[in-house]
Amino acid sequence: MDNSTRLMDIIERSLTGERMSEADFDRNSIARGVKKIVKKYDLKFPKDSVINNDIELADRVYQAGLELLSESGVYSKDTGRVIRFSKQEIEQIVRNAPSTLTFGKGDDAKVECAQDLENPHTMLQSGGPVGSPIPEEYYMSCLTAYMKEPFIDTISPCTAETVRGMDVRTRSPLEIVACWEETYKVNMIRKLVGRPGLSYGGCEMSVSEIGQLSAAQGSQFQQGDTHTFGIISELKTDNGILCKVAHATMSGGLPDPYGNPIYGGLGGGDEGQAVLIVAINLALIVFFQGAACGSSPTHPIYFNCTSRNVMNYTSVGFQALANNTNLMTNLVLSPVGGPMTKTLLYEIFAYDLMATYSGISRMYGPRSATGAISGHFSPLEARFSGEVMRVAPSIGREKAEELVQKALDKFEADIPNKPYGKPYWEVYDVRTMKPTDEWLAMYNEVKDELKSWGFPIDQA
Amino acid sequence: MEEKYLTLKEAIVDGEVESGSEEMQKLIDSGIEPAEIFSNCVEPTLNDLGDKFASLEIFLPDLMIAGEVVEAIQIVAEPYLKAGAAEVVNKGTAVICTAYGDLHDIGKNMVNLMMQVNGFKMVDLGVDIAPKAVAAKAAEVNADLVCLSGLMMPSLPYIEETIGMLKGDSLTQNVKVMVGGGPVTEGWAINAGADGYADDAAGAVAKAMELVA
Ligand code: B12
Repeated sequence: MDNSTRLMDIIERSLTGERMSEADFDRNSIARGVKKIVKKYDLKFPKDSVINNDIELADRVYQAGLELLSESGVYSKDTGRVIRFSKQEIEQIVRNAPSTLTFGKGDDAKVECAQDLENPHTMLQSGGPVGSPIPEEYYMSCLTAYMKEPFIDTISPCTAETVRGMDVRTRSPLEIVACWEETYKVNMIRKLVGRPGLSYGGCEMSVSEIGQLSAAQGSQFQQGDTHTFGIISELKTDNGILCKVAHATMSGGLPDPYGNPIYGGLGGGDEGQAVLIVAINLALIVFFQGAACGSSPTHPIYFNCTSRNVMNYTSVGFQALANNTNLMTNLVLSPVGGPMTKTLLYEIFAYDLMATYSGISRMYGPRSATGAISGHFSPLEARFSGEVMRVAPSIGREKAEELVQKALDKFEADIPNKPYGKPYWEVYDVRTMKPTDEWLAMYNEVKDELKSWGFPIDQA
Repeated sequence: MEEKYLTLKEAIVDGEVESGSEEMQKLIDSGIEPAEIFSNCVEPTLNDLGDKFASLEIFLPDLMIAGEVVEAIQIVAEPYLKAGAAEVVNKGTAVICTAYGDLHDIGKNMVNLMMQVNGFKMVDLGVDIAPKAVAAKAAEVNADLVCLSGLMMPSLPYIEETIGMLKGDSLTQNVKVMVGGGPVTEGWAINAGADGYADDAAGAVAKAMELVA
């Protein structure tokens, strides 16, 4: 079935599916549904390791996630109906989904391939602060500095807090201006840094649909760029999101959707979160036409993805997908630490290792300092992440687990302190776009430490 | 907790709506004042659940089902409440929502449930709510408190606008406004004219108590 026919099918189901109140969907289909399925599949995580080493457990999580999605469907808030696909339909669409994807074009093209659990390859890096806000005056400098980093394979930009000095207001004319400015600037910087074909994922400034619908088109969006959008946790959508799907589909673009399950939220604890990870990622392919799929599993108190248990259920959930499908999956690396803290670098190290051995084929970020603290991110940690990713496949799963534990010993106790560090303009020279000596020294110090742990990071 | 309350406590913790209502009726029939049942059983049970949720020993679904039982219990109790006694049960009426253009609702839902289990009558408008609609609802339900959640910078101007509307209207000018969410800081909140700010759901409850006291 071609993409526009599938789109019409999805729209039709959203208009004709079972009617339900949103509260009933949350309460019964998700909260009770997840609980019931966790029990039925007898899911209990041993929690003795971070990187899962029980593939049979991952397979059960896959079946549980598939069953959850086929029963719950996806709730359409605007039509008050449930969009459903049967288990057979989901399996068929997922079986036919691509396992490779080309980002960007020309010399700058990069190919993502579904990850091999047994024999992993280097993940692609969708580098950048992934929508984190920064004062407008630092936007160009910061984004340029990121786009110059050679290990970044595709760019995921920051967002300017104001547009020409005015606070951006979502779903207002200012959102449209902000999105056009984002695409203009990305296009200009791609040329300036000599990477005209570098893939860009946007519009990050499109909080509602209007910015994206206006700016993500024509000469602004080039071949190999991706349309970014999130679905509503857990397993919900609205017409704004379906408009983004329709726009990407009809304009022949690459939809790159994500869904973020929240620990302790409707899916409950670790086991429920892993089941939700499977259900959400399958939904992104089946209900939202994803060219790839991904998540940013989030901790509800620290807003990070690097806590021990969060990494563990993330590992199980994505191994489940990798062992049972050929999908390309991604994560958004969201540490608590910010620039000028060692915590940030240890978190990145642990997360990249976990992901490499859990079936992930592309990594977004790092979205430092949880992505919510103005300007608290810098390109140096993206460079560090790129280096870790390149070396990670060579060390083997067991060594990776050992090093994840070692890194956790270094940063775990610091998470509750929320070590957000310093903003871009204090750790970089804004004009030369180079890191300060201090920040560079800390980065080198941690790299030396990793070498002493038996991780040959200078071979990146 | 006194032994006579243990069955009711259990029903709340386990999310048993029917046995919760039945037990409430039994306790009332045995001659205990509903307000007493609330302050000696329902409230401590909910406070305990709230603490457990704040430290992630239990999760949102557990709090949701407990909330459902308490709603049912309140319905059973209502006809027996003496004038004035309702206040013992109700700490105040609060309107809560996520700002215009913003669909992030998980944090808002956590705050909502924590306030509910701590005795506030919550009116949850949902997400993506225009300033006008918030102000109208606050006036309609005669709210004591308005709680606004904003997770994204481009939604914060709408929070400021909402506060301005509430404070500028004689019907709602005395309503207290509390704000929170990722990019919101205490400093921003004060500048925007809010009366209170909190970092997390447990803090939100404490702040709310302080504001309506
Ligand atoms: C989950 C999530 C989503 C989900 C939301 C699902 C849902 N049902 O809520 C989805 C996928 C839909 C989503 C979409 C988008 N998101 Co989003 N998302 C997140 C994420 C990962 C976690 C947010 C969360 O739920 N945290 C957990 C909860 C428990 O925390 P909380 O909400 O802050 O609440 C706590 C406290 O703040 C406080 N609190 C909250 N409200 C209130 C209210 C009061 C009165 C009080 C006192 C306290 C209080 O108590 C809560 C409990 O402790 C954050 C990143 C991060 N690491 O935080 C980005 C983030 C918030 N998203 C962001 C962005 C940019 C977007 C998109 C625009 C991306 C895009 N281009 O499509 C869209 C916008 C959609 C829209 N119109 O709103 C940015 C915002 C940047 C900014 N500050 O301006 C963030 C920071 C990530 C980033 N850097 O890109 N997102």
